[in-house]
Amino acid sequence: MLASRNKRRKHREPGFRPKIRPGLKIRTKLLLLVLLLLAIPWMGYKSVREMENFLLEGQQQALELTAQGIASLLGNRRDLFALAAGVPEVLGRPFYIVPQDLIQALPVDAAAELWAAAIGELTDFSGFGLFECNKDYQPDSFALRHGLGAHENSIFSFFDVTDDSVIFRDPEKIALDHNDQLRMTVQDKAGATQRYLLTAQAEGRLSIYRMKRNWREPETGEALREIVAVMELTSWGYAIKLRIPGDYLGTGSRLKFELVDVDDKRDRKIEKIISTEPDPFRYDTRRIRLMTPELAKLIQPLYLPEGNITIWDRYFRLRAELGSIFPEDARLRQLRLENPSFLDRVELAGISLYEWVFRDPEGGDSDIPDDSSREDRSLLQKVLAKGQGETSRRRYGDARLIVTAVPIWAQGEIEGAILIKQSGNKLLALQYGTLRRFTVLFLGVFLFLALAILIFSSRLTYRVGKLQRETELATTPEGRLLKDRIVAGARASDELGNLTRSISLMLQNLGHYTRYLEKLPDTLAHELHNPLNVVNSSLENLQYQHAELTDDKYLQRARNGINRLRSIITSLTEAVNLKDALIQGSEQFERFDLAALVTSCVEGYQAANPEQRFLVQVFPGTLLIDGAPDRLAQLLDKLVDNAIEFGKKDGLITVTLHRTDTQAQLTVANQGSLLPEEIAERLFDPMVSSGKDARRTHLGLGLYIVRLVADFHGGTVQARNRRGLDGVEVTVTLPRPDRNTRLD
Amino acid sequence: MAKVIAIVEDDLDQRENYADVLSSHGYEVRCYADKADAEEGFRTALPDLALLDIMLGEDMDGGFDLCMELRNRSPALPIIFLTARDSDTDRISSQRMTAWDYITKPVSLEFLVARVHALLKIAEQLKSQESEPPVSLLEVDQLELDENSMSVRWCGEVVSLTLTEFWIVESLARNPGHVKTYDVLNDVTRQGLVERNTINGYIRRIRNKFRLLDPAFDRIQTVHGTGYKWAKDLG
Repeated sequence: MLASRNKRRKHREPGFRPKIRPGLKIRTKLLLLVLLLLAIPWMGYKSVREMENFLLEGQQQALELTAQGIASLLGNRRDLFALAAGVPEVLGRPFYIVPQDLIQALPVDAAAELWAAAIGELTDFSGFGLFECNKDYQPDSFALRHGLGAHENSIFSFFDVTDDSVIFRDPEKIALDHNDQLRMTVQDKAGATQRYLLTAQAEGRLSIYRMKRNWREPETGEALREIVAVMELTSWGYAIKLRIPGDYLGTGSRLKFELVDVDDKRDRKIEKIISTEPDPFRYDTRRIRLMTPELAKLIQPLYLPEGNITIWDRYFRLRAELGSIFPEDARLRQLRLENPSFLDRVELAGISLYEWVFRDPEGGDSDIPDDSSREDRSLLQKVLAKGQGETSRRRYGDARLIVTAVPIWAQGEIEGAILIKQSGNKLLALQYGTLRRFTVLFLGVFLFLALAILIFSSRLTYRVGKLQRETELATTPEGRLLKDRIVAGARASDELGNLTRSISLMLQNLGHYTRYLEKLPDTLAHELHNPLNVVNSSLENLQYQHAELTDDKYLQRARNGINRLRSIITSLTEAVNLKDALIQGSEQFERFDLAALVTSCVEGYQAANPEQRFLVQVFPGTLLIDGAPDRLAQLLDKLVDNAIEFGKKDGLITVTLHRTDTQAQLTVANQGSLLPEEIAERLFDPMVSSGKDARRTHLGLGLYIVRLVADFHGGTVQARNRRGLDGVEVTVTLPRPDRNTRLD
Repeated sequence: MAKVIAIVEDDLDQRENYADVLSSHGYEVRCYADKADAEEGFRTALPDLALLDIMLGEDMDGGFDLCMELRNRSPALPIIFLTARDSDTDRISSQRMTAWDYITKPVSLEFLVARVHALLKIAEQLKSQESEPPVSLLEVDQLELDENSMSVRWCGEVVSLTLTEFWIVESLARNPGHVKTYDVLNDVTRQGLVERNTINGYIRRIRNKFRLLDPAFDRIQTVHGTGYKWAKDLG
């Protein structure tokens, strides 16, 4: 029965190894899943974009409504658009004053103080940052205060100049550009540009010439009479009082002043130029604005945050303006972050990471040009021509500007138009803020999730790996069970824990079964002993009672049979007894000479098997090892028994003992048949044998005993076919004691 | 008067075979199949020698229980365990209960009768020893062997050996320095054919018993592959 089981086991070899499909590790898979979360911010981004459009649409409609409201408010008010109601204005800067509507005309001969008082508040123009003033410009050496007023059809302009050295014109020089002077540029309604130079040889009336483009030569030699200007020296410099007839400017024309300073009397070079137009290069003249205080008052309550409302007459003159598209609280945002909370800090950290992805839309305000009059003008032209409201959305870089214009009607005629500009950036900024917070929050959540999943998957991988390692370590490559449970992770309540427990249970059952199989010979032997004893004692009684049967051949054969049975049973129990003895530790190690043991044993084998030839190859001297000599003798018995059993009848059995520094190597080799390939690996397992002789017992326990003893001594055992010769050699390697403790 | 031998064995065939051979040698035999039976029998009358199987039916250690009971009643009663169990644990247990011998199945009836004879003789000797001095004494260095009472002393102290062990020690000590081969020792154990390893087991147990009294005991020396010898005292 045992033999047939062995055959079955042989058939199952080699083991089934499934082909492994290429694939990803659990950790990689989980991390890839986390990447799917990136769809959330994409969705968020998309929806914010949608929201932006929606909001801009809403804002645009609100603006159109406002514009229509204002238009109807101003409808049929021809008086407001009357020319006389307007006050022309030079606009250079946003803080520019509304030109004073003068109570009476100012005589040019009146004192400068009188002019200053009548014009009212003056605007300061210094040379800082302006073209044609060098870096070491000092405001107390050259500065201008300028004011503009209007009465009837005349415009009065007053210049209060600070100048440390006043240089008058040198009459001997033909060129006109080498003394302190005032230059006036006028663009009339037709678009033609006229240049007027106001220059003086002494205090008093200024000579006024129409100039060529280079400001050096006059267009004609004769001075102009219509424009009147008087210069008056003051303790800090001089003042210029100027009266221009309204016809000179006309509706829709532009006006610009430039004050020129020359300080060195000898080389008379132009040192500085201060212009009433901050950026003289962008446009050399600008349209006069005919501001109407009445209109300004009317639209005052309609203030729009970050919006600019302008009212134009049909000649494209600006009549009233309210508000600025630039946010007033630009600095407030920064103030808010001066005492940042923890969340703000986190947000700031996130923002710096995020800012290279998205630009701040509120920062985009800076992309809006200070003056967008050209686009405004074309829009106004459409509106004034068609008489229909018009709206446009403009983009300047990141900035969005909504511009809407609505005509103002008076008695069936278009009197003017209202233009409202508002930056969409405030609302967008709100949205971007949301997007930003969302992004920061998402990044946090994403990182947290990724980290959590990384930790989780690492832990999972680690646990699976540990389970795998322990499972692999539970059996030897030959399939011998080393342990019957898996400790790592067996207490976890999850599926992995269940798997661990399942494997543990499987190993336990396997262990039980293995132990049962290992115990089987012993149990079998024990069970066989009793019937054997019955047969044996019965035979003896038979012989005793029938003395004449003593030499009966059948009785003899029965005895032989019993003896064979006995030896089978003994060899069955031997392994189990040995194993028990080794496990129980009843064997004591002693230091003894292995060489002497081997030599002496082989002598005994030779004596017991005279027909067999033995050869001992042991170097001279002693080989001390720590071990149980009886057991090692038993090991040698089994090796030699095997060698004899499977060797040729008159073959040579060679017993060799080698030593290295750390090991003793005992080899028993025979001449005879070779090892069958299929059992080479399992030769040292119980019940594995290649024996074929029917009359001898082959339980395959001999080499199992060899392995048990070798294991017990911390050694190894190996069987292989001899190279070049017929036969098998079995090598047992045993550790030698430490060099420090041995004395050989 | 015939000596009474109690046989406790759950297997009818074996029991009857023992009974037949022993009664044909002139002993009175009482057979018991289980523990309860035997206890009752022992209560009526103690035998002169008891032959016990350890496993009695379902009772794994029934023999040991009976041994204890008998020993309680009669400290000098010869008890032989005759069992299929061949583990060191069982041997040590039997020794603790001061059984006189431990034989494993299958047993040769011839040798069984010889053992029974020997043990009954020793028992008799022990009884009479109380009045008479020992007669047959073998002395080798510190070893004293009383062949009649089959007692062994090492350095004056009693070494408690089973019958088989006594025979092995006697065989070795009788010719100090001579190697007793496995074959010789096999005959000495009077068990029929035994494996070398069984002899090794006996020697190991004997050494352990001596070493309990004298940790430096090293007189029984192994001649690997051949057998054992009793070393002469070199000192």
